[in-house]
Amino acid sequence: MNILELKDISKIYGSVKALQNINLQVSQGEWLAIMGPSGSGKSTMINIIGCMDKPSNGSVILDGANISKESAKSLTNVRRDKIGLIFQQFHMINYLTALENVMVAQYYHSMPDEKEALQALERVGLGDRAKHLPSQLSGGEQQRVCIARALINYPKLILADEPTGNLDETNEGIVLDIFKQLHKEGITIIVVTHDPEVAEEAQRTVVLEHGRVARIVPNKE
Amino acid sequence: MAGDPMKKQTMYFRMVTSSLIRRRSRMLVALLAVAIGATVLSGLVTIYYDIPRQMGQEFRSYGANLIFIPSGDGSALSMDAADAAADFIPADDIVGMAPYRYETVKINEQPFMAAGTDMEEVKKTSPYWFVSGEWPENDGSVLVGQEVADYIRLSPGDTFTVTGTDIKDESFSRDFIVSGIVQTGGTEEGFIFLSLSDLEGLMGNEGELDVVECSISASQTVLDDIVKQITENVEGVTPRLVKRVTQSEGTVLTKLQALVYLVTVIVLLLTMICVATTMMAVVAERRKEIGLKKALGAANKSIVMEFLGECLFLGGLGGLLGVVLGFVFAQTISVNVFSRSISFQPLLIPVTLAVSIAITALACLLPVRSATDVDPAIVLRGE
Repeated sequence: MNILELKDISKIYGSVKALQNINLQVSQGEWLAIMGPSGSGKSTMINIIGCMDKPSNGSVILDGANISKESAKSLTNVRRDKIGLIFQQFHMINYLTALENVMVAQYYHSMPDEKEALQALERVGLGDRAKHLPSQLSGGEQQRVCIARALINYPKLILADEPTGNLDETNEGIVLDIFKQLHKEGITIIVVTHDPEVAEEAQRTVVLEHGRVARIVPNKE
Repeated sequence: MAGDPMKKQTMYFRMVTSSLIRRRSRMLVALLAVAIGATVLSGLVTIYYDIPRQMGQEFRSYGANLIFIPSGDGSALSMDAADAAADFIPADDIVGMAPYRYETVKINEQPFMAAGTDMEEVKKTSPYWFVSGEWPENDGSVLVGQEVADYIRLSPGDTFTVTGTDIKDESFSRDFIVSGIVQTGGTEEGFIFLSLSDLEGLMGNEGELDVVECSISASQTVLDDIVKQITENVEGVTPRLVKRVTQSEGTVLTKLQALVYLVTVIVLLLTMICVATTMMAVVAERRKEIGLKKALGAANKSIVMEFLGECLFLGGLGGLLGVVLGFVFAQTISVNVFSRSISFQPLLIPVTLAVSIAITALACLLPVRSATDVDPAIVLRGE
């Protein structure tokens, strides 16, 4: 069963065609990597998959529902309920502790639950850093908080934008281990990356060039 | 496994207070703007309402503002009628009431005007009198006007003899000691001031007055009301306002209050601009945070409520600080300018708080509205 289906997606900004006739299916529990040089349309594609932008043409089917014509308000609700976002720059709220940063996602989704948020931090190995502010955490630790925050509302899809782009080798390994664990648990993951080593961990790699799908490379099973 | 959910309000409160406490260097600037505005506001409002009292006291230095004279039938003003009229003046407002009886006496066969009065009350109704020597404290000692002293060459401590005829046409003669020489710059310098009892002793009768000078600390409206009451209720007394004092007092007060009012309005506007500018800067530097919250699924309403919560907190805290500092500010001004302390007005607490919160909320409205325009996609661009 497909969790995400892009049908003939195009995105046009004035005279610039950022995406052209993209067709892609992502099945439930799949780990997909998206690669491509700068300007290839990666950002536009994750904006559309992440419900932060709408395609000029084509349809986006997420969890069985066509969301390509939804209003910005409806897209916010879809994003909140179905997508967990992980960013290259971590993006933590700097005046909230690690635990509170996770609880913020619960707060906007439904009800904050301190115990559950703590369990999410323990899952990424940061139970003892729950009361620390972002400024007291390393880059790798901040990214793990970001993963805990993305997972807290049990999303259908994890969308990670260059999740290891700002990490050293050790922390990159830790983050990839967490992703492997999530994949084993059946969570769908889409990772946008420049790093071939990260892409190799996925089941398939979609390579974008000039706003088109240049090739789809199957990796390992 | 899930635990007990926290109330959304608790998390909201935690987010708002954390933002204020953990970003204190930024928020202190905004708090300072609100607190300074609230301080000047509460201080000026305190002064605004205290000016009539303070200036009323100040104006009393310029002499009586109400006089009692006999009714037009030619008879003297009786002490009883003056007392009855005085009953219509609120006791707390009376600064002083000096009775005067004028009689012609002779010194070295030269006629002079003698005024019998109550020296302690004269000190209160005419504080501008300049006395060389001492104010009389005993019967037999007098104040002599500068003109009289120059004419018959009297100095403090000198003794002189007063002669004349009393109401029964019988001659009298009595020695008095000059206690002090009085300068007023007015007609008083041609008078000899002795105690009322001394003058009554010389004239052989008592209970008759020519005029009572009253110094009352009250507004023009209250004074008008007192005059009306006395006119309607007391016979034998004609109350008259000393217009040059009461009218100029009213004019100065109105202008002074208008000035303070204007300054208060300008301060409020400046505070609003200052808070709005600060909040715009706060929103601008928190665009990524707003984008992140929207990316996490925050509705525009939630973002607005969070910023408004911070604004209201700032307004409330700044208002509270303003109440305390404003009183200190008003007290300092009052002590230094008017040499008197002022009393705290409890009503100022809710008023200052409400105005501070309203001004802060109003100032935050524009930047907060712009906060909702932030595109959540900014967090995905790796900026």
